[in-house]
Amino acid sequence: MKSRILYIVLIASMLLGLAACGGGGGGSKKTYTYKDMVVGFIQTGSEGGWRAANTASFKETAEQLGINLKFYDAQNKLENQLSAFRNFIADKEVNVIILAALETTGWEDVLKEAQKAGKVVVLEDRRIDAPEDLYATYIGSDFAEEGRKSADEMCKLLEGSASKNVVELVGNVGSSAAKDRGQGFREKMGACGINIVKSQTANWDATEGKAVMEAWLKETTDIQGVFAQNDEMGLGAAQAIKEAGLDPGDDIKILTVDATAGAFKAMVAGDINTVVECNPLLAPQVYEAALKVLNGQEVPKWIPSQEGVFYAKDAETILPTRKY
Amino acid sequence: MKPKIAFNWKKMIEHKLFFPFVALAIILLFDLIFIPGFFRLQTKEGHLYGNLVDILRNGSTVMLLALGMTLVIATGGVDLSVGAVMAIAASVAAILMNPVIIGMKLPPDLMKFINDPNFTYAPLWQVITVTLIVATFCGMWNGLLVAYVKIQPMVATLILMIAGRGIAQLITNGVRIQIFYEPYAFLGSGWLILPFSLYIVALVFLLASLLTRKTAIGLFIESVGVNARSSFFSGIDEKKIKLLAYTFCGFCAGVAGLVASSNIRTSDANNIGLNYELDAILAVVIGGTLMAGGRFSLLASLIGALVMQATTTSMYAFGVPANAVLAIKGVVVILVILLYSEQVRSFIRRFTAPKEARS
Repeated sequence: MKSRILYIVLIASMLLGLAACGGGGGGSKKTYTYKDMVVGFIQTGSEGGWRAANTASFKETAEQLGINLKFYDAQNKLENQLSAFRNFIADKEVNVIILAALETTGWEDVLKEAQKAGKVVVLEDRRIDAPEDLYATYIGSDFAEEGRKSADEMCKLLEGSASKNVVELVGNVGSSAAKDRGQGFREKMGACGINIVKSQTANWDATEGKAVMEAWLKETTDIQGVFAQNDEMGLGAAQAIKEAGLDPGDDIKILTVDATAGAFKAMVAGDINTVVECNPLLAPQVYEAALKVLNGQEVPKWIPSQEGVFYAKDAETILPTRKY
Repeated sequence: MKPKIAFNWKKMIEHKLFFPFVALAIILLFDLIFIPGFFRLQTKEGHLYGNLVDILRNGSTVMLLALGMTLVIATGGVDLSVGAVMAIAASVAAILMNPVIIGMKLPPDLMKFINDPNFTYAPLWQVITVTLIVATFCGMWNGLLVAYVKIQPMVATLILMIAGRGIAQLITNGVRIQIFYEPYAFLGSGWLILPFSLYIVALVFLLASLLTRKTAIGLFIESVGVNARSSFFSGIDEKKIKLLAYTFCGFCAGVAGLVASSNIRTSDANNIGLNYELDAILAVVIGGTLMAGGRFSLLASLIGALVMQATTTSMYAFGVPANAVLAIKGVVVILVILLYSEQVRSFIRRFTAPKEARS
């Protein structure tokens, strides 16, 4: 008798337990954690310090958070990116696809396929021309904001200077970074009376930056500031200013965008005054956004990356902590 | 063969240096009229300072490349890899001076690097020797592919053009290495009244001239360019001649890489020498050497390089809008090349000596 009652109780409790388990599984949606994320990351390919830091950021952060990262280097070829994209869609494990697109167009088909397969697509660094509902979110720099920040910082540098003649070294003509940085700068420069006296492309390149600055300095030395749209061109300009017998960072203030280690060294040496950051360490923000989307939370279609401004006086202490 | 004409004016027009000089003169004339103060020369800190000096100095890398490229083009080939070899050379030199890869492991005595202008890992002579050996080897590789494996020059050198920047990035681990070593920086940005890089160009030019004009090698190169097969039958080892031309071209690219990286004091694997192979080829073409090979003039190629650089510097000084720079460069090149076309030349000939009968 006793044992039969025990049996009944046991079976009943087991049934109850099962029911409880089933209820837990079927009722509310599963909550994802970083450990459940399997990420397919399609990188553009290697191009320099910035890109290398960008890749390293994704790999290191994935390791720290316990994310399973499948990394694919497209070697700067669009067809590689597309086939990798399709592979990740077919891969049942992968639930998040991160893309640094090489081209702005031609993505709609694969994005639709990804949507059908239920993959979360996050764009990083490079924006694309596709309907916004086809991807979860874009995380990248706000080039125009970098331009506006640059103008504000240039204002601070030229405070108290009677004339505020600034020359601008532009990146590749037509690239969105060059266009928007220039535009942002022009929006804000009027606030303190900055006057862009010359503007020329130096193709993101130190050699050309130097050559352009040399030619300008032959014509006039009535220049108070240089706005270089990336570090390299600014470093080249600093060399040209030195050779003209002037002191870069003092006679002519230099502000650059990017904040690579090279620019920090130049700040330590006193050649560059201020750098506005273009942050390649986007992984934490990207992973966080992807996790939110997996869990059904709303995220904005564009999340600007967190970027700072660095000054020459702090360069020596910050330099050892810079990753790129 | 055209008949020799005793007329002096005609002789001048037929001279190899005539058209490159005309092209250069036209550009400088434009500067004289439209850019006030373009020709102003000053002395600053014991050296000459002015736009003309800038043309010479910034043109020195393309001049160096053009010297090597002239010999290669004269054999009927072309070397597309010189820009990439420049990048390799710059990376090798930088890593020898500053082997600490930035961002990977920062040295605790970092400030010493920046503040000590004499800090270097390897002494200067080692840096230069090793770099030039590596670059010469790159040229030799091209030469082997073209002469012995018989791959078409454009394809053979395309290999290194594509792979070269990758190799350069591997050497420096994808990081731009800054150069603080002052004696090295002297190569590209030092002065002995004139820019020091100009003396380097003169030295390489002298070397190339001795090689081609004081020995029979120059003649052999031209004969290989005109007809490789018949030169072979007349006892010229065309393979060795081609190998020599490409090897020398690699050496020149190495020197150019040293000058370029010391000019901006950094090794930039992505940008150093980018598209310079095209500038060098254009310089040689403007200098009057035919792409099909044959007769060449080293001095004319140097002036061709100066034509290219004068155009660029003039545009910066004139304030051409950024998005028009490349287009205008194209217009200048096409105008110069037009001067060489047989049609235009015969027109000029008729114009200068209308009464003379043409054979």
